[in-house]
Amino acid sequence: MVKKSDVWQGTLALMVLKTLETLGPMHGYGLARRIEQTSGDRLLLNYGTLYPALLKLEQEGYIASEWGVSENNRKAKFYKLTRAGHARLKQEAREWDETAGIIARFLTPERDTE
Amino acid sequence: MIVRLGGWRGREVRERELREELEAHFQMHIEDNLRAGMSAAQARREAALQFGSVDAAKEAVRSGWTVGFVENARQDLVYAMRGLRRNPAFALTAVLSLALGIGASVSIFTVADCLLLRPLPYPDPGRLVMVWESNPRGSALYNVVSPANFRDWKAQNDAFETLAGFGEGRGVLDDGRRVEEVGVQYMTADLLPMLGVPPYRGRFFTRAEDLPNTPDVVVISYRLWQGWFAGDEGAIGRKVQFGARPATVIGIMPPGFYFRNRDVDVWSAMGLDPARDYRKSSGRYMMSLGRLKTQVGLQQAQAQMAAIAKRLEAAYPVFDKNWSVKLDPLRESMVRTVKTSMWVLLGAVGLLLAVACANVANLLLARQNSRRREMAVRSAVGAGRARVVRQLLTESVVLALSGGLLGILLAVGAVRGMVALAPKELVGTAAVAIDLRILGFAVALSLLTGIVFGLAPSLAASRADLLGGLREDGRGSIRGNSGLRRGLVAAEVALSVALLAGAGLLFRSLMGLQGVDPGLDASGVLTFRVSLPSARYPELPRRLEFHQRALDQLRALPGVRAAGAINTLPFHGMPSGTYVNIGGRPAAKPGEELLATIRTVAPGYFHAMGIPLRSGRDFSAADNTLDSPYRFIVSESFARKYLAGEEPLGKQINALMQNTNPFGEIVGVVGDVKEGAVDREPTPTVYYVHAHMATGQMVFVVRTAGDPRSLTEPARGIIRELDAAQPVADIEVMEKIVAETFSRQRFSALLLVGFSMVSLLLAAVGIYGVLAYTVTERTREFGVRVALGADPGRITALVLGMGARLVLAGTAAGLAGALALTRLLKTMLFGVGVHDPVTFAAVPLVLATVALLAAYLPARRASRLPPLDALRAE
Repeated sequence: MVKKSDVWQGTLALMVLKTLETLGPMHGYGLARRIEQTSGDRLLLNYGTLYPALLKLEQEGYIASEWGVSENNRKAKFYKLTRAGHARLKQEAREWDETAGIIARFLTPERDTE
Repeated sequence: MIVRLGGWRGREVRERELREELEAHFQMHIEDNLRAGMSAAQARREAALQFGSVDAAKEAVRSGWTVGFVENARQDLVYAMRGLRRNPAFALTAVLSLALGIGASVSIFTVADCLLLRPLPYPDPGRLVMVWESNPRGSALYNVVSPANFRDWKAQNDAFETLAGFGEGRGVLDDGRRVEEVGVQYMTADLLPMLGVPPYRGRFFTRAEDLPNTPDVVVISYRLWQGWFAGDEGAIGRKVQFGARPATVIGIMPPGFYFRNRDVDVWSAMGLDPARDYRKSSGRYMMSLGRLKTQVGLQQAQAQMAAIAKRLEAAYPVFDKNWSVKLDPLRESMVRTVKTSMWVLLGAVGLLLAVACANVANLLLARQNSRRREMAVRSAVGAGRARVVRQLLTESVVLALSGGLLGILLAVGAVRGMVALAPKELVGTAAVAIDLRILGFAVALSLLTGIVFGLAPSLAASRADLLGGLREDGRGSIRGNSGLRRGLVAAEVALSVALLAGAGLLFRSLMGLQGVDPGLDASGVLTFRVSLPSARYPELPRRLEFHQRALDQLRALPGVRAAGAINTLPFHGMPSGTYVNIGGRPAAKPGEELLATIRTVAPGYFHAMGIPLRSGRDFSAADNTLDSPYRFIVSESFARKYLAGEEPLGKQINALMQNTNPFGEIVGVVGDVKEGAVDREPTPTVYYVHAHMATGQMVFVVRTAGDPRSLTEPARGIIRELDAAQPVADIEVMEKIVAETFSRQRFSALLLVGFSMVSLLLAAVGIYGVLAYTVTERTREFGVRVALGADPGRITALVLGMGARLVLAGTAAGLAGALALTRLLKTMLFGVGVHDPVTFAAVPLVLATVALLAAYLPARRASRLPPLDALRAE
């Protein structure tokens, strides 16, 4: 198991964008829990690092926020993907796939030599 | 970009939303945990752990706000102001220290800048060079020039683009409506064009107009044009009477133009006569200025001019015996006498500024010690290290800038005061004003002070370990930076010692100078000058009659004890001098002539001026007629040096002043007057009676029993009654004229005393601060000591001992420094050595007294601590 490590920023942004695309508008806490669950609890997100990342994405125009009411009737700030966010996600995902594919080739050489 | 601008939404709104968002996050987490079956406390704890520091998160978000930087700076500023307001004594001391240091530096720097650094207001002023005659054997290193030699230099040199001549004087300007005496410079036609400043209106005089027996033309100053002619464009071409002759105004110089002397309003042609042999008819009296060719250096020009002088010496073995040439850059010639004073003052303010900075650094360090806990708390709740450093720096920069601002205000006042107080020779040639560059200098200086002396404590603070700081109970940090602080205080003491020593030496010189008997009694004497224009008083008898009647009427004024007149006052400008011969002796060999100062007096002068008659008699009214035989009065030093062992009365002498120099009998010997400066040997002097050496200009000298100023109006009235058109100039009390002689010394001494007092005060504050702080830190220890039976006296002695060690170390270092530094004062001292034992004994005493006083207050407090309170102190 991966040691529960802090997620680095670029990856965290990708995770946030993908989660929002999949699940629609969410608040910060929901995002955090969802990312943890998706990682199979192998990632421990220091929740405090999430908010600067959200602010950055919002400033870059990939997500937008508005105040809403949570499932427990609590006032919370909901984030949703913008049009630019969708495009960004597509591009980021493609780049990530490519990178992952390349790295995979290095790490599993026997398939290459078949 | 638009989104970013959105970040400008109100700070409060943004802060509130962030708080609410994080709070919601927290609560939801807790609720989830509760649902998962944790206890309330457990749920909370787990949520908090996983979130991490809320403040760190907030800080991270905040720094993401586009305006984060501005925001932080604003916050730092608010914190800084709040912190300073909470501790006004600290803030006030720091700001005042800096203000004094910076104010003093800026004001002295302003004066120094005007005198020494700023280029003279002519194009390429570095190539302007004064050319003097020089006779090192006669100790006349920079001597005025003979017109004949000047002409030969001009013809033979190829080092100068132009070599021009000039002289200075005063003349009466009269346009039919107004008559006034003004300063004038006579110059050869090529001087003004050589300076390179074009006329503001009109033109300069031409070479043809610079010949004798041509109609006189004058160029006037902007100041005179505005004042006298009310800026009238028709002033050009105006006919005026200048001195003895009618003249036409042909030009106006631009505002602020001056050449060597700001007190000049008229420039006129010198009119040297090409046909005349000046070696036969006159001595050395003019000055010359040249502009070096671009490719010629000063040394090269000096060598060439010396060679020319050598040839002239060979060609004129009598007139030019031992005379060479000395070149002297124009600025150098203008500031030579004040340069040392200026550098010494600059050095002194530098020291003062260093003391002020040390004091502020010391205060900042003390403050940082007492705030370690605050800083640790700030770090613990998530303030980054850079943020802590920045906050502390902001505080010191705020301090420094306030100090700087106050300093600038002080400097503006100080510069005005200094200009009023300073000797004429010091500020006379410069328009002293604080300009933007100097303001920039002051601001840069204060910023630098703030950063340099704020940085060390800030860095130290940011490194402070959190737990130590949080746990600190006041005992842990005695060590900390107190070593550095003691060092700073010792340095303050050392610098103060150096300043005090300098001030002491200058002050003792001043006392010595003022104690010297000037050879006359200046108290109760009023002087004023009357220059009879030879146009209205062409014949000598009329002038004599005017003076005689004026003197008679002055003597008749109530309260007047005596009245006389002299051509130029002692202690005021350069008197003329020439060679004298003693009757019955062979003519002196070249180079061995007897040189004497020549003065012309009206009968009654010696009595009025309080110059004692040693033997013989004063001139009588009968001596003061054209047909009376020549008679002379000489000074004591004349009799002593030139008539040693002989009876001076009855001796025949003559002086080479005129075309015919008849011998005359010495009828009296009077006391020496310390000529020019009291710290120099008196020069032998020969006095003519007015009738035999008539000058148009005479200075009346009136002695009264009461306040001499009360005679001003009556004296004016007498002259007006004799001739309503006759101006009276330079009405001045003699005491002031004599005092002006020491004004440079007094000025430097007063300033240095002021600087050293301020630095002494700052050092005392430093000593007090360090000891008071130590006492607070060691309160518990002192409590224990007292509880165990220590005598309060022992505690006092302990604290005083700490202070004494600081003072001893500082004084020792300071004395060593002062012994080396006061050497630089050598030329400014009179009657005291550079290592004057009285000064060097008094300085440590003064310092020790002040230091012990400063140390006594905390020491007393330490000894009076009630032991129980002290033990409980936390």
